[in-house]
Amino acid sequence: MTLNRPIFLDNQSTTPCDPRVVAAMLPWFTDNFANPHSAEHAMGRAAEAAVEAGRAEIAALIGAEAREIVLTSGATESNNLAIKGAARHALRVNDPRRRVITVATEHKCVLESVRDLAAEGFEPVILPVGPDGLIDLDDLTEALVVPTLLVSVMAVNNETGVIQNLPAIAALVKEAGALLHCDAAQGVGKIAIDVGYGIDLLSLTAHKIYGPKGVGALYVRRRPRARIAALFSGGNQERGLRSGTLAPPLIIGFATAARLAAAEREDDAARIAGLREHLWAELQRGMPGIVLNGSAEARIAGNLNVMLPDGSASALIAACPDLCVSTGSACSSAEIEPSYVLRAMGLSVAQASRSLRIGIGRFTSPADIDNAARLLIAAHASSPARMQA
Amino acid sequence: MPKMIFIERDGTQREVEAPIGLSVLEVAHKHGVDIEGACEGSLACSTCHVIVDPEWIDQLVEPTEDEEDMLDLAFGLEKTSRLGCQIVITPQLDGLVVKLPASSRNAAQG
Repeated sequence: MTLNRPIFLDNQSTTPCDPRVVAAMLPWFTDNFANPHSAEHAMGRAAEAAVEAGRAEIAALIGAEAREIVLTSGATESNNLAIKGAARHALRVNDPRRRVITVATEHKCVLESVRDLAAEGFEPVILPVGPDGLIDLDDLTEALVVPTLLVSVMAVNNETGVIQNLPAIAALVKEAGALLHCDAAQGVGKIAIDVGYGIDLLSLTAHKIYGPKGVGALYVRRRPRARIAALFSGGNQERGLRSGTLAPPLIIGFATAARLAAAEREDDAARIAGLREHLWAELQRGMPGIVLNGSAEARIAGNLNVMLPDGSASALIAACPDLCVSTGSACSSAEIEPSYVLRAMGLSVAQASRSLRIGIGRFTSPADIDNAARLLIAAHASSPARMQA
Repeated sequence: MPKMIFIERDGTQREVEAPIGLSVLEVAHKHGVDIEGACEGSLACSTCHVIVDPEWIDQLVEPTEDEEDMLDLAFGLEKTSRLGCQIVITPQLDGLVVKLPASSRNAAQG
């Protein structure tokens, strides 16, 4: 079988820009390219007005106010700003609390930010997860016995699509008087997320919701106020929290993606869930013994993370050049190490290396799914590892 | 008349009379306590930033969003930081203790 173009089933690594997003962005590269901080002239003010309208659309997606949105370059920056910023602000106001709690399956940029704080005198605590990928709320309660500054828990895991119970986590964190940060890069636009759960800081990114790469946001609660220290020195844009010239085309693209996500999330999820169930049924039929990693219920519609009955996931991917899937997160797939996320869920090194991440998205067609199933099953059936076994 | 105590930057305590209805900033100016108050209480700066004694913080009316916005810009912010211009003396605040921060930042000079 020869395909015109590869089938992209790696929608948790990134998503294609929606054509409606691209159309909204284009005029801001050429027709009006002004610096939105140039308040003296009409072009600057028009760019500023467009950015502010965009900020309101991004805020609306998570139940926030426009003023609570700090625009950044993406979720990695937002996560660094939230975690290091909250910790450094606490130091500055002589807050005696030093404990910072996070979870073993968080994105690298969260885990590394928390670990880096150890060098600044903070006490990182990394909670485990169960085989389903979920944290045990009793573990969190126990960790919160020591006065805690900040808890950082992701909404949706980037490898398994597992959804943490944010409302329950928020209630515990609030009761303990700590700040709650949520990396919602993989959650926003996929599931309903409202900062009203009791979230103080929340990271977003555009490119996981069919927006452009290179733009994201951090929600910073205003009431009661969550205060953080800035990471960048500069012109004090974004209420002093993020210096640097804003990028109107990217922000307007992000805002358009956010508006579309709010309007189409439920329809997308229903359709994508149907495709996922069909693919999963096909894979189970064609590869007896295949296992789903992580909770089947607490999982976004577009994700399948599966453990092959035998062989290796990277060999299978190599045998399917017309198919774009992955063994783990793109951020760590340059490493030879098998997924630390799956290892934290109790999989052995061998089991993790047999595991494949499949991400279905808004632009995946039923034909893509049929072709992908056929390619994967055929490649698995003829893989050398399998024939040796 | 209620009294209040300012803890100055060198640690000395000054007990002064605090007429009901005046703000902490106005009380400071009346007695020559060194708080700037560049915008004269119009919520446009944070130069009247004071740190309220933690024992007293729950007695105060919660800060407005505008006050919080200005506190975002205050230098040497602490957990019980407030703007002196926004704390109005009432009979319940007899004995209020506030500390002057190490230094202040005048946005107009920044």
